[in-house]
Amino acid sequence: MTSTTEPSIVVENVGKTYYPSPKWMQALVRSQIKEPIVALDSVDFTVDPGEIVAVVGPNGAGKTTAFRILVGLTTPTTGSASIMGYNTTKQSAPVRSLVGWMPGDDRSMLMRLSCAENLRFHGRLQGMRPRAIDRRVDETLELVGLGHAAKKSIFALSAGMRARIQLARAIFHKPEVLILDEPTGAVDPVAAHGLLNLIISIVEESKIAALVSSHRLEEIEALHSRMILLDQGRIRYDGDLQTMRAKLDRPCVEITFREADTAGRAAKILTANGHGPESVTQHGEVLRCILSHGTPHGAVLGELDTLIGDVVSVDEVKRPLRDLLADIYGAEDMPTAEELRRRRREERQRRREQGEGKRSGRLRSRR
Amino acid sequence: MAFLRMEFVEEISYPMTFVFALAKSLMPLVLSFFIGQLINDGRVGGDYLTFVAIGLGVTAMLQGALVGFGGMLQVAFQRGTLETYLVEPVPWTVLPLAMNTWALGFGLFNGVALMVLGGILGANYELGQLPGFALLILLGMIATTAIGILSAAVLMLTLKSQPILVFYGLAASLLAGSVFSVSQLPGWLRFFSYLIPHTYVINGSRTLLMADPGSFDLPFSTAAIVLTVFSVIAFPMGLWLFRRALEFARKMGLLSGY
Repeated sequence: MTSTTEPSIVVENVGKTYYPSPKWMQALVRSQIKEPIVALDSVDFTVDPGEIVAVVGPNGAGKTTAFRILVGLTTPTTGSASIMGYNTTKQSAPVRSLVGWMPGDDRSMLMRLSCAENLRFHGRLQGMRPRAIDRRVDETLELVGLGHAAKKSIFALSAGMRARIQLARAIFHKPEVLILDEPTGAVDPVAAHGLLNLIISIVEESKIAALVSSHRLEEIEALHSRMILLDQGRIRYDGDLQTMRAKLDRPCVEITFREADTAGRAAKILTANGHGPESVTQHGEVLRCILSHGTPHGAVLGELDTLIGDVVSVDEVKRPLRDLLADIYGAEDMPTAEELRRRRREERQRRREQGEGKRSGRLRSRR
Repeated sequence: MAFLRMEFVEEISYPMTFVFALAKSLMPLVLSFFIGQLINDGRVGGDYLTFVAIGLGVTAMLQGALVGFGGMLQVAFQRGTLETYLVEPVPWTVLPLAMNTWALGFGLFNGVALMVLGGILGANYELGQLPGFALLILLGMIATTAIGILSAAVLMLTLKSQPILVFYGLAASLLAGSVFSVSQLPGWLRFFSYLIPHTYVINGSRTLLMADPGSFDLPFSTAAIVLTVFSVIAFPMGLWLFRRALEFARKMGLLSGY
């Protein structure tokens, strides 16, 4: 592995728009795209050797497109990307030697071939020498904990083992950059935890750069890495999780009452005056209050007045990452359950009012 | 070699399919053996079994070259393995050749099996002409591989090209006269026979291997020259077009779709 201090991955002003097929081509195959789709829009980031960067975003955010540009499977419409200084569009051959890629599904493996044969096949295409391949097969399978499954064919493996063999293939030729597209997508949380630990140890030991995408937010926290939030092709946030929490997180207190009724009354009190918590949500006898920065917890309890005697417990809770991300992506993208309930109530109310309006109109016309 | 080994392991995973695919390809010859007993037509040189064993055997040899790469490419598209081949540092112009090795080998084996079966059933070959025959087969395989690569270029853009190849394969059997003489075709149709490499390989082989090749006697030298010219033009053109189609599919984001 190299000891360069230059970034291993450089993405500069990258944009990607998928266009409908040209007319001459539509005579051959019908295009699935009717209008141009902007998958990436002016995306910039770098990844240093030995650094793991988690790429997070909802479906269609542009994560896979960004990864496909980096491995040379598609080209950017604007801007440029490079791996170890090689342009991914113009110099894709050296890029393909430098990148270890783990696609999002296990269909990319040769199902009838054994784990060892899959790695050998990959090694041959990477131009490795037969003796080096043999040595590396044992070494890599041991590293990912599949030493005992060398002769098993892929279709006989569990989802967790398949993820491990895919990772083994990605690291087999000792790449400088790892690009892992939802590596834990198909595995259970325990196997995912093990896989992430493995990825962390490989990156730390080999000092390679790694880009990892995931939908599982608890995994992003477990990686303790820099995070890039993509949304509709744009970067919404690029930094570490702690900084993001410090910037966006607000204190959250859960107050448990003896009865749900009391909790309901307390919610009304807290939302009635303008200087209470930023938001109050009730879950049975529990009230969750999100406070603005600098508001002491006692201020909320002080508002409760006579209901304070019905409080069973007060707990400070860490807001889930999911809620923080929802704040970043905006309510119109990810409405909360409370918001959805409110919208349904408003819709019912609007229909009732419309129905009453029509009834009174009919009565008037009969008269 | 990596692709050859990979395909071999895949094939032997389904031994029954392998055996039946081979058996299926031998059946037309058995059928022709009995039909041949009814035929006494000078246009096929009087020895219909030898005539048809060469026609079917050579067609089988060329079939692997024709459909092998396109077939493997389509399977790779469907299974999702194509992208993993494309991210390997293998030159993209080498892929059509590497992915075709198994089909070429199987087609050759199949064709030889058909001709051996023909020999067992009573076909007479001029065995002294085998080196010339081997050269014609080699040139024919290069020429039909070029057509296969051209169709794979279409596949990259349309995601399906097998119907084109199946149509071409059937048309080639008809136009090249694999089971009858080209001289039986109407004049306007025979014009198309001269445009496809199958005609030159099959009929050139008959000229070499049969004592009396019938009324469509195509000299070996003519067949060899036409096939060489065809290969020299079509092969680089096929590779260039495939590369262009792959680049276009890459730009349009078509490589992951099916």
